[in-house]
Amino acid sequence: MIQLSSTDYDAIRLSLQVAIAATLLSLPFGFAVAYLITFVKFRGKVLLEVLVNLPLTLPPVVVGYLLLLLLGRHGWLGSLLNKADIRLIFTLKAAVIASAIVGFPLLVRSLRIGMEGIDPQLLNASRTLGARWHDTLLTVILPLSVPGLVAGSSLVFARSLGEFGATIIVAGNIPGITQTIPLAIYEYAASPTGETMALSLCLVSVVISLAVLFLHEMMAKKMARRG
Amino acid sequence: MKNVFHMITTTLLCFILLATPVLAGDINLSVAASLKEVINELSDGFARKHPGVKFVKNYGASGALAKQIESGAPSDVFISANLEWLEYLKNRKLVDTASIGTFTYNTLVFAGAPGKASSLHDLVKLERIAIGSPKSVPAGEYAMEAFKKAGFGKQLEKKLVMARDVRECLMYVERGEVDGAFVYKTDALLAKQARILFTVPQELYPRVTYPMALTVAGAKNRDADAFFAYLHGDEAKSVLAKYGFAPR
Repeated sequence: MIQLSSTDYDAIRLSLQVAIAATLLSLPFGFAVAYLITFVKFRGKVLLEVLVNLPLTLPPVVVGYLLLLLLGRHGWLGSLLNKADIRLIFTLKAAVIASAIVGFPLLVRSLRIGMEGIDPQLLNASRTLGARWHDTLLTVILPLSVPGLVAGSSLVFARSLGEFGATIIVAGNIPGITQTIPLAIYEYAASPTGETMALSLCLVSVVISLAVLFLHEMMAKKMARRG
Repeated sequence: MKNVFHMITTTLLCFILLATPVLAGDINLSVAASLKEVINELSDGFARKHPGVKFVKNYGASGALAKQIESGAPSDVFISANLEWLEYLKNRKLVDTASIGTFTYNTLVFAGAPGKASSLHDLVKLERIAIGSPKSVPAGEYAMEAFKKAGFGKQLEKKLVMARDVRECLMYVERGEVDGAFVYKTDALLAKQARILFTVPQELYPRVTYPMALTVAGAKNRDADAFFAYLHGDEAKSVLAKYGFAPR
């Protein structure tokens, strides 16, 4: 019943590669931003919060188009990269960047919930015991943020698997190189003769998403039980 | 509770009544993307002579259009960029067989920045080549057939950026994100930055033919019928020639 061609297997492999890379890429930045928003007082914090949440509300094609303007050959950052012979547009790297950006708000959100649930008494205790802020960060906050980290990571992973609008604009639809599952399904869906193939890939996509979301729910429950 | 029920019923009724009705003077066109300028000009010309007629234009890849018509999208006139998609609809009895004719012809070229390539051989040196997705874009199907026949199929495999129609190919090459694209000669003539680097040898692919037909719904639409006849006329021929399409 399920027919998958070799380009379909490529699509599945590329989707997983992009999702894993995007999650790993966004983790350090997400953690840093969540820490700043939760524990550090500074002016203009609202601006940072709004900027972080922006990719969540912007249509993904807008995110993609803005990225294209930024990283394209004639773009602001792109022309500099071009001189160093680094090429991002229409490569898998662009797909990873796009997915990381659209998933970023979800990661920060999860991490913030986790960090806000940390008992402030523990932080005060570590401070009275003489720990510097980085010591507290590594030995108290980081271990206690792990459930939030895992929950956030699974959300970024799931979002990356479904990323289409920004990806097709900055990474293009290149079978075997950047054609992830949503792009492959889009190509099949535009063709009258691609029905069964589209459905097969859809099924694979649903199965992967269900598995990831299951994991997320389990982690969220674990976090709630702790608090 | 009764008030809420009344409110919901009234709102729903408003939505239903405000739904856009299909007006009698509408002509729904499903046309291959490469004919956009030609059909825009011809429909404007026709609308000036026939006030009250409104065109709903849908430009895109012929395969995607065929699928939309099959799925029930309103359409009166269908102009495809290859015979395959018209045959597809004909086999499903969705077009008026008596109306099938040929609108025009075209040639396939490779467009890009000057100096990138001068023949099919040079393509293997390029990094990224834009092509319409062969699953639904005739230009892509023609291109794929051409370089497969020339023996470059394997070598060009991982270089191909799939576009949803021939105009998107042109857009990629205009932006400089690809080294070149397989487009029609008429599309390349509209390009501002890209140039025609070489014409794909005609022996490698079937002649680019644009068949046209009235759909089953279109055959019953008097205005669509009149427009269809207009497309066969002299004004249509001169507009086609103006944009570089081969004469019938």
